[in-house]
Amino acid sequence: MAKSPPGPVPPAALRPTDIGELRAAIADTARTHPRLRIAGAGTAAGWAAPPEPADMAVDLTGMSGVLAYNPTDMTIAIRAGTRLDAVQDKLSKNSQHVAFDAARLAEGATIGGLLATADGGPRRHLYGTLRDLVIGATVVLADGTIARSGGHVIKNVAGYDLAKLFHGSFGTLGVVAEVVLRLHPAPRATATARVPGTAEQAAEAAGRIVTAGLEPTAIEWVTRDGGVGDLLVRLDGTPRGVPERATAIARRTGLPAEILAPEAADELWRTVAGVATGIQGDTVLRIGTLPSSGPRLANRVTALAGEFGVGAALTSSIGVGVHTVRLRAGPPTAHQRLLTALHREAGSAVTVLRRDGLGAAPTVWGPPPPSIRVMRAVKQQFDPHGRFGAGRLAPWLESQARTEEQSL
Amino acid sequence: MTPVRLRAELAGILGSDAVVDNPTELRSYECDGLTGYRVVPSLVLLPRTGQGVAAAVRVCAREGIPFVARGAGTGLSGGALPVADGVVISLQRLRSIVEIDPVNRRAVVEPGVTNLGISQAVAPYGLYFAPDPSSQQVCTIGGNVAENSGGAHCLKYGFTVHHIHAAEVVLPDGTITTLGGDSPHQPGYDLLGAFIGSEGTLGIATRITVKLLSRPAAVQTLVADFPSVEQAGDTVTSVIAAGIVPAAVEMMDTLAIEAVEAAVAAGYTRGTAAVLIVELDGPADEVAAHLAEVQRLCREHGATKLNLATTASDRAAVWKGRKAAFAAMGRISPDYFVQDGVVPRTRLAEALSRIGALATETGLRVANVFHAGDGNLHPLVLYSEARGERDRAERLSASIAELCVDLGGSLSGEHGIGTDKACSMPRQFTEADLATMARLRAAYDPAGICNPGKLLPTPRLCGERPGPYRPHPLEATGLIGRG
Repeated sequence: MAKSPPGPVPPAALRPTDIGELRAAIADTARTHPRLRIAGAGTAAGWAAPPEPADMAVDLTGMSGVLAYNPTDMTIAIRAGTRLDAVQDKLSKNSQHVAFDAARLAEGATIGGLLATADGGPRRHLYGTLRDLVIGATVVLADGTIARSGGHVIKNVAGYDLAKLFHGSFGTLGVVAEVVLRLHPAPRATATARVPGTAEQAAEAAGRIVTAGLEPTAIEWVTRDGGVGDLLVRLDGTPRGVPERATAIARRTGLPAEILAPEAADELWRTVAGVATGIQGDTVLRIGTLPSSGPRLANRVTALAGEFGVGAALTSSIGVGVHTVRLRAGPPTAHQRLLTALHREAGSAVTVLRRDGLGAAPTVWGPPPPSIRVMRAVKQQFDPHGRFGAGRLAPWLESQARTEEQSL
Repeated sequence: MTPVRLRAELAGILGSDAVVDNPTELRSYECDGLTGYRVVPSLVLLPRTGQGVAAAVRVCAREGIPFVARGAGTGLSGGALPVADGVVISLQRLRSIVEIDPVNRRAVVEPGVTNLGISQAVAPYGLYFAPDPSSQQVCTIGGNVAENSGGAHCLKYGFTVHHIHAAEVVLPDGTITTLGGDSPHQPGYDLLGAFIGSEGTLGIATRITVKLLSRPAAVQTLVADFPSVEQAGDTVTSVIAAGIVPAAVEMMDTLAIEAVEAAVAAGYTRGTAAVLIVELDGPADEVAAHLAEVQRLCREHGATKLNLATTASDRAAVWKGRKAAFAAMGRISPDYFVQDGVVPRTRLAEALSRIGALATETGLRVANVFHAGDGNLHPLVLYSEARGERDRAERLSASIAELCVDLGGSLSGEHGIGTDKACSMPRQFTEADLATMARLRAAYDPAGICNPGKLLPTPRLCGERPGPYRPHPLEATGLIGRG
């Protein structure tokens, strides 16, 4: 599929194949190539704010492969440049998986990139995101320091959890080199029920489904053309339990619920993924709200899209309050105005997942979060000379140029 | 600033009844649940509000005075051990449940609310707070956040870090910020995730938004006796391999069962080599399907008796016994140390036999109580202070923790590093790992006044070079101890 423009291309690239080469690539270039651009598969090149120019690229796709997989312990250690979809294929042979289904998996996204962008998919309802599934990480810092936190066991409180810092860091702190993940058993049976309705009906129904203890893996409300949408409820479990739970949905919600044939379910889940990926020229946003504010946000998006003459599709993990919005057609100024309006609506909790619909000099990030001072202090400690990720979190983090002046 | 002026300033800000400087009262703050380490603080502060906490911290920051936050003081790693010439900030007066939001399944609470108090307050809505450390009747949510507390049910439900949406935090310079937010989708670094489990070294949480879960539709608790610890361990492995994620899988050995039965008569079989407690919860049909499979696997692995706790009161008895296990050791030994190491689940049997060998070498008894599902061991090293066994017991306890690291695990699964295991950290982490962790600490606390001496090894406690534990000079002279 078409990728967003990645910004100015650095003149040369290093392609390390293991952590030793990565460390050398970073440490040896401190003077000659102070500003590095770290890239995995490039599936999030169009996310967040555009990168500032760099002196050299470090391509992590050579750092690929499984370091340790113990099916009985249900943990796997992989290099950061490993495609997660390939890992899932391997795990499926042992009826296991990483309980994580971001849309970018299908595009070949790497585990390091998925962690650094805090991406997620519908299974976030039950399993959260990678911050909840990563149990260990090894990172390389700007001065060549190799640091590890966590480990190979699920339960572990020894030391600070550095992997959490790198979740959502957009490459601004250092380079994730290796990741250890917790695995879950792949479901023996699965079913998706579809409940048509408005956002308000979906929110109400989602509450009833959760309260009834049906333990859905995902509850996603996705818009259809014409103002209504479908609530998709994924149930994973045993061949005996899943059908019973699926039929309970209509009873519990008082709404007509259709248990979808597998092909129809796959088709609708692809629609959900398609909202998050978009195509060339789209703008895609991810917004966090209180779950109960979901319907209000959905209605606001529809109203703004009408006002600005933009086509909008939305998919909401309605039980946890994570919404993905895709804007299509209409001029870039309209996309930017809509984004700015949503910044006012949802504050700092708006991430741009595709910015090429926003035009040349987009205002990507909204008001900074209240903890911005701590974020800046962490950046200063981990990457004091601004070697990594300049621009991606601008203007929240100061620009590279200023950092360089200070360091001279 | 003189102590008298400092006291007067703090009394002016917080009220004179919020400042404790009476030596007798100060003594009651000298240790937490790890009673072997004792330091009397110079002042204890009992603010009533988050603003009060912030004001107190601002004074500490201005004067460069170290401070230690304290909840119920039930921690088992010396994380709330006071600093000499420092201040203890007790959160015991911040105990309001500020808001319950059943629609969004969350509550906003102050840090001094107890873990169980949250679940009791939200029970009318069919909701509960999932992390359930054995001390849940008294331990506070502020302490749970600091330690990233687990409990018996974290195999399925995760740890405290998976159950907190947001925290209002007083940073070590006295400013107030918010980490996290309304939704799990928050921009930038996961500063909330890094804060949870930081053992009080990055700031003080003054208001916490907890995630609540709906009570599961069905619960089944199976108690299975086994003729050997290895067979019980293999059963756990086979249950997990079958793709079943129980809510909890606990194991106790003969010695632990003996203590529990002497203390609370929970109905466990005395004399059996190992007992496994498997709790399944979720939709009724799923639970029924999994229960049948677990029962089959127990029998296949040689279980001698299966007992299903069918009613809520039967289940409560089973859990009462398990959660009373540490305290019950008093029935079979005058003194004991609790360990908290973790091993990969597949190495449970190996870990237990090596712990047994270490115990035999040392000539001491070790009772084993553990979260078998996630490999988190709680070996209880039994000894008698009166018989002068303390040093031997302490060495055995430290070797068990380090054995866990050598087996590919961790020094701590839920009790934290605190003071107790700070000097063992170099066994698990390199100097570069620890230096990087110190960078994170410096980002939050550049002045180094927020619970100093905990979590990371320091030359003061561990000797000039971080390395295996060496007695502190004060310890050698008997002025301080480890416990």
